[in-house]
Amino acid sequence: MNALAARLGNKPWLLSFAGAFAVWLATILFTEGKGGGEMITAALSFATFTVIVGIGQMFVITTGPGNVDLSIPSTIALAGGVAMKIMGGQDSLIWFGLLACIGAGLAVGAFNYALIRLLKIPPIIATLSSSLIVMSVAISYGRGLQIKPPPSFADFTTAQISGVPVLSICAILFAIAMAIILERTIYGRATLAIGQNVRVAHLAGVKVERARCITYLMSAAFAGLCGALLAGFSGGNALNMGEEYLLATIAVVVIGGTSVAGGRANVPGIWGAALFLYLLVTMLNTYGASAGIRLVLTGLIIIAMITLAGGDKPSR
Amino acid sequence: MQGRGKLIGIIAVIVIAVAAVFGYLQFQKSQEGAAGKKIALSNNYAGNSWRQSMLKSWDKVTKKAVADGVVAEATAFTTSENQVTEQAAQIQNLILQGYDAIVLNAASPDALNGAVKEACDAGIVVVSFDGIVTEPCAWRIAVDFAKMGEVQLDYLNEKMPNGGNLLEIRGLAGVFVDDEIHKGIEAGVKKYSQFKVVGSVHGDWTQTVAQKAVAGVLPSLPEVAAVVTQGGDGYGAAQAFKAASRPTPLIIMGNRQDELAWWKEQKDASGYETMSVSIAPGVSTLAFWVAQQILDGKEVPKDMIVPFLRIDQANLESSLANTEQGGVANVEYTLEDAQKVIAAAK
Repeated sequence: MNALAARLGNKPWLLSFAGAFAVWLATILFTEGKGGGEMITAALSFATFTVIVGIGQMFVITTGPGNVDLSIPSTIALAGGVAMKIMGGQDSLIWFGLLACIGAGLAVGAFNYALIRLLKIPPIIATLSSSLIVMSVAISYGRGLQIKPPPSFADFTTAQISGVPVLSICAILFAIAMAIILERTIYGRATLAIGQNVRVAHLAGVKVERARCITYLMSAAFAGLCGALLAGFSGGNALNMGEEYLLATIAVVVIGGTSVAGGRANVPGIWGAALFLYLLVTMLNTYGASAGIRLVLTGLIIIAMITLAGGDKPSR
Repeated sequence: MQGRGKLIGIIAVIVIAVAAVFGYLQFQKSQEGAAGKKIALSNNYAGNSWRQSMLKSWDKVTKKAVADGVVAEATAFTTSENQVTEQAAQIQNLILQGYDAIVLNAASPDALNGAVKEACDAGIVVVSFDGIVTEPCAWRIAVDFAKMGEVQLDYLNEKMPNGGNLLEIRGLAGVFVDDEIHKGIEAGVKKYSQFKVVGSVHGDWTQTVAQKAVAGVLPSLPEVAAVVTQGGDGYGAAQAFKAASRPTPLIIMGNRQDELAWWKEQKDASGYETMSVSIAPGVSTLAFWVAQQILDGKEVPKDMIVPFLRIDQANLESSLANTEQGGVANVEYTLEDAQKVIAAAK
């Protein structure tokens, strides 16, 4: 038992994958083995979006207590709208649309960081208030109208290779790249150092503000990219398509073994946690649990997972 | 002594004259009826296509009404966070700003009652619609949501006399509207026992959420004959069935343009048949005319019912043509429509 706990302590992400597997197993036991494969396909394709924005949120949370990006949902809405409008349903404009959605994200990120740095507003307040502004921009930009994605873009976002969504493969590669950035680059190490102790990091010569700036830019850019992909995947943008990603991103970061207090991050755990969260809802839906029970159980299971994953070690 | 008496006399005459003129003006104003009155729209949410259409319809109809001199002003106010406290504060502001009527789409059926009562006590007419309030002093233009669930089963019974398995997509858990539509669907399933609900998920009236929830539960479900919905979720369900390579069931739609466009595509390709039902976002304009009628001194019952906007196989093309790309099928109501609804409620 102790050995198990120690192993989990070293690799907190194992827990989220174990949780995802357990929930999947519980579901297919109920359906007597029916639909297990399709369930994984669905879980992979929806977890992809959570992972893309979750990784951005992870970097933000890693920079220390109080750092969180609450503007993700409205950035998704805005960037989805911008991308669909620029693509205008034409295959030839897909790349422009993708660049534009990342650009929209970067603009939001720069605005967030300006609020935090220049006006010295705490990040929670800064990103919350900017999310209101961004949502208003999104509303007046698209007036709530839905625009369909170009056919090739829709095909790409929904394509599968023998049951594995292409987008998920891209997101796995993306996660690997981000893990390398976190562990092996100066920026990644700086982010971890800032999260552990800003003052010490600063005294040790870490360029604190540069790292924080990159972090907020990245989080918003990923949200922007996610907005375009989500719009492609679900057949058009919508103002409320980002709403569920506010709590989901924070939940996957924490369940995935990243410390809420900052300074300790974990990329693979985000994949595990995103799959876990999706399969958990699937399981409760399959069991036919009523909405009340479903919400209570989701809450309790998330609390249990967080306690197991991160509760043992307070930040040093 | 005498001089002072004279002065007092003059002042008294002036005061009486001013009061008389003012009183006459007031009298004239009340004679004018609704013209010269100010109406405000208090709206709790703007973040989806339905609400955007609702605001646009309000804008279109009231602008014309103001230009025609039917009312003096009709401004729309929307809260940013869909919070009860925020909307209560907004209503209090509207009271202070001296509006004669507040047309209200409320964030909560009962939590705003205090603010609504304050408005009534200040002599302001409050007309709630869509999201109605229970405060007795306010008027209510309610949607018969349970009926909206039931008509879906009535239609299915006609289309599929042999019945089959149903997948139910519900709205946002814990919201009154979701419970009501669900009750209607439950009642329908009880009435037509050949149907069986084999799965139920919450789609939050959002295409992406519905798609996600349906994709998750689909692998564990037997063959689904039809999907009963609450609006805003039909296209997401269709996408999920397609992604899972399952045969497309009969999906009841909710009047969104993407849903209608998809239906049209299927209809042209394979003769796909379904129906679509929802409330036109233009119901805000119905509420506007009702408020105008009340201000005009007409007798209006406190509880009225909004008509559904139903689209069937026959009028699909014309409805789709009249619906803005990415919007919601809509009708704007006229004064005559409002008078009909008022008469029906009497």
